Amino acid sequence: MVTFLDVMDKALTGKPCSEKDYTLKIFAARLREIVKEHGIKFDPQIPIPSDDGLADEIYKAAFDFFVEVGTYCRDTERIIKFDENEIKERLRTAPSEVIFGEGRDAKKLTPRKPEDKTPPWCFLGAGGGPVSTEEVFMGLVEGYASIPEVNSITTPALTSVSGLRIRPKSPLEALGAIRNAVLAREATNRVGRPGLPIMNTLATAESATSLAIAMQSKYGLRASDGYMIAVMDPMIVDFDRLNKVCAALSLGAPVGTCFDPLMGGYSGGPEGTAVANVAHHFLSALVYQASWHLPFPLHIKYVCSSTPELLWVISTSGQAISRNTHLLSLNLNYAAAGPMTEMCLYETAASVTAAVVSGLSIESLGVATNKYEDRMTPMEPRFSAEVALAVAGMKRNEANEFVKALLAKYMDKISNAPLGMKFQECFDMARGKPSEKYVELYGKVKKEVEDLGIAFLY
Amino acid sequence: MKFLLYWRCLHVWVIGVSEEEIYSELSEAVVNYNVDAAVKAARKAVEKGLDPVKAIENGLSKGARIIGDQFDRLEVFLPELLIATDAMKAGLDILLAELPKDQTLRKGTVVCGTVKGDIHEIGKKIVAALLSANGFEVYDLGADVPSSKFIDEAEKVGADILGLSALMSSTLAAQKDVIDYLKAMGRREKYIVMVGGGPTTQDWATQIGADGYAKTAPEAVKIALELVKKKKR
Repeated sequence: MVTFLDVMDKALTGKPCSEKDYTLKIFAARLREIVKEHGIKFDPQIPIPSDDGLADEIYKAAFDFFVEVGTYCRDTERIIKFDENEIKERLRTAPSEVIFGEGRDAKKLTPRKPEDKTPPWCFLGAGGGPVSTEEVFMGLVEGYASIPEVNSITTPALTSVSGLRIRPKSPLEALGAIRNAVLAREATNRVGRPGLPIMNTLATAESATSLAIAMQSKYGLRASDGYMIAVMDPMIVDFDRLNKVCAALSLGAPVGTCFDPLMGGYSGGPEGTAVANVAHHFLSALVYQASWHLPFPLHIKYVCSSTPELLWVISTSGQAISRNTHLLSLNLNYAAAGPMTEMCLYETAASVTAAVVSGLSIESLGVATNKYEDRMTPMEPRFSAEVALAVAGMKRNEANEFVKALLAKYMDKISNAPLGMKFQECFDMARGKPSEKYVELYGKVKKEVEDLGIAFLY
Repeated sequence: MKFLLYWRCLHVWVIGVSEEEIYSELSEAVVNYNVDAAVKAARKAVEKGLDPVKAIENGLSKGARIIGDQFDRLEVFLPELLIATDAMKAGLDILLAELPKDQTLRKGTVVCGTVKGDIHEIGKKIVAALLSANGFEVYDLGADVPSSKFIDEAEKVGADILGLSALMSSTLAAQKDVIDYLKAMGRREKYIVMVGGGPTTQDWATQIGADGYAKTAPEAVKIALELVKKKKR
């Protein structure tokens, strides 16, 4: 069995290589070849394919690719590689279920299959999006924790502490991470869901030092929360992130890995991105010893996951993983449009459907590309959850027609998506209620989406 | 007309290939992201005594514009763009060495990097590649770059533009640090400061007193060209 010590040994003794050579001559070059060798082809008319053979071919390509290419360690400038047996053994022994949360909020995350009726895990919130004040942070997390379908929370990231803008790797970041933990737990307590798991660890803690400081139990984090740690595109890790893994493993907590192969970046087109997305699951299970996995492939230009190419990547890589492994995988979606726009809800419905019918659970979501302060509300993840539960069990060919109808509603606006409104502008923060206009728009879109062929639970 | 045809035939006969063919080789070397072919074509241009300015403009730069447009339409992807930039640079090194020392073809000089505390580089690499492709001399300092290093390098190479990239909301403030540093040294007016990256917005750029902000890499090139033109006026 590959242990974390083995990973470090490989990081220190693997083949030396410059990052430029790894990214261009090894990763990108081999990925291009392997896509051709396996005959993988994107069809824009079928964003959600029903072809099991295609999914299995993507899986095989990703397996071969990971064996050959490995993972790059930036600090040692070496390649961490695993042989076929090591990978197969880890995939066989990786957790097939994890219990997150405490008390009546505790729940088991289990694997799903394509067209599975099992309700997907709904990991809801801001996806680490930036917020301007602690008041906005609290208002949002209380809202997320109040969504009936929520299984776990993804918090926003604070950008300042008592008016001082956070600097990376500084004590301000550590102080911000502490507040992130304290406020998130307080918010779940306030709405009567004290055991609800927080699964993006601490969005404010970019460095391992900040994470280690803020994960002291007195601040509210528990071993039953999820500890999400990022990989850099393409398949690059460094000591700071490996230190985070070490910290989370020492707590006995379930590590999750988030990774975002960019379509148009080192992975190339949709075909290469799908293969890379699957290969990142192997990296996650072996290098980070992760119990759960969080892919969020994005479009390099539009920074969203709602284009036909990205829906195809989510669907095919999701099918590849869910058909061939029992890994616990949740897709995080980004919308190009902002809160209180029809487009944002359409985009979300499309991305969530692609994930759920392909055998994944969901994290939702990054709104307005997740870059603008306060441009997120609890309404968008609530919509994600309602769609996710409605499409569980849907046939892939029906889902394909459904998302094509959704795409027709927003694709012409994707390059210039509306930013919508800020949380403060479309929510009554004191009462925690959306504005009447937003409620009206939400109902209208829900009706339109229903007319396209899905049945909401309520 | 007859004379022109005669001259052209003679020219091709004397030097083996026409100027246009060499321009085309230079351009295609970039479009096909082939570093060796760019070096070969640039050497051929020098051997045949072609005007290096024309070879750059009609050959390498033309190819760079084509690959930049292809990347914008996602007909090619980041690896191809980066290798094409290497091909362009390899050809440029050879052709620029032929220019008189007092002559410059550069649209401007850019020192860029990802700010202190931030290790994300992809967006910045794309901007650097497109700036190079559009005639800027680019010094890419990589990631996690301290404020003082941006300024030391800018002073050393005589930069026109400082390009500051940040991908995380927590590293945005380091863009302001560079501007503060410039002000403290009394050199703010000497440089154009451009900011970009995931969480950066026009509001943020205005708030910290940056000169330019771009949402996309092609926009960054356009704004850089405008700002340099304005500065040199």
